Amino acid sequence: METYPQAAPHSRSPDRNRPDAVIDKRAARRAFDRAAATYDGVAVLQREMATRLLERLDYVRLSPKTILDLGAGTGLAVDDLQRRYRSARVLALDFALGMLRLARRRGSLLRRPACLCADAEALPLREGGIDFIFSNATLQWCNDLDRTFAELRRVLVPGGLLMFTTFGPDTLRELRTAWAQVDGHGHVSPFLDMHDVGDALVRAGFEGPVLDAEYLTLTYADLGGLMDDLRGLGATNATRERARGLTGKARWRAMRSAYEVHRQEGRLPATYEVVYGHAWAPMQRVAADGAVTLPVSAIGRRVPHPGATEN
Amino acid sequence: MDKKLLEILVCPLCKGPLYHDKAAAELICRADRLAYPIRDDIPVMLEEEARVLPPDEEVPKA
Repeated sequence: METYPQAAPHSRSPDRNRPDAVIDKRAARRAFDRAAATYDGVAVLQREMATRLLERLDYVRLSPKTILDLGAGTGLAVDDLQRRYRSARVLALDFALGMLRLARRRGSLLRRPACLCADAEALPLREGGIDFIFSNATLQWCNDLDRTFAELRRVLVPGGLLMFTTFGPDTLRELRTAWAQVDGHGHVSPFLDMHDVGDALVRAGFEGPVLDAEYLTLTYADLGGLMDDLRGLGATNATRERARGLTGKARWRAMRSAYEVHRQEGRLPATYEVVYGHAWAPMQRVAADGAVTLPVSAIGRRVPHPGATEN
Repeated sequence: MDKKLLEILVCPLCKGPLYHDKAAAELICRADRLAYPIRDDIPVMLEEEARVLPPDEEVPKA
């Protein structure tokens, strides 16, 4: 795997008002349910992203009681999270039940993750019950990022941390270009620009957002290898206006030869633009009536009580 | 069902409390009249997977 940092120009996000930019969640869920058994075998990139995201936790001092692994899939990160935070409970959430049936076996006999099948855009969790949200390669499946971030902020405790990876617009650019040359259809799910992800975090009231992106490239002997991987991940294109029915053999052949122009040193590259981000839920909550509430822990001892005398 | 998980679960639509029907393995929202299934001990809190309660089915308070 090669990696090099690259600055992204401002906003290359797709227009979510276009029908081909809306993700059909039922189709995506079905694809993930089907892929549960093969996922771990082909999730090389997702595993690498999880590792890199976990490494970033080395620089953050946290002692969470409850961790939400949002889009946990088969629970790739559960063991690592449990090892890192010995006294934390990990809640593995995914919208594909098939994936969770595997995630529930992670950890140890005495310490299994709690599993929950739900949609990140409509969380079934009460306000302020989560200390830390870890989310690897998941947010790209959300149609409404504002709604999703509002939900994440709602379930976080004041001062709670959100840390995630997602995919940027250059992801699978070779495949997108090849298809565009053949029939003008995208065939690849649309991905949001990290600047827009950052703006959405701020709109949702998150504080101190930090985002960066890097390019990771996987290489394949042939295109079949890439397509097998994508199917094995359940990461097939699930946008509503994707061309229905079988993609004609002639069009496949045309796409295959269009992709060949990218071949380097005998291998076909597949580029992924990986976006990393983190942000904090604000310490204070402003109620509808304008009242500001602070958690007791935020008050500290620095401010003396009015009338108190310093000894 | 994980007891601690139950404590933090709410309806994904109205964020209201849920009634746990152990016999039927369902988590029921009285307000939305939806019963979310619990499959293999995993709560499935998706609207499209929920059972719509018939008008005559009564639900105890959560």
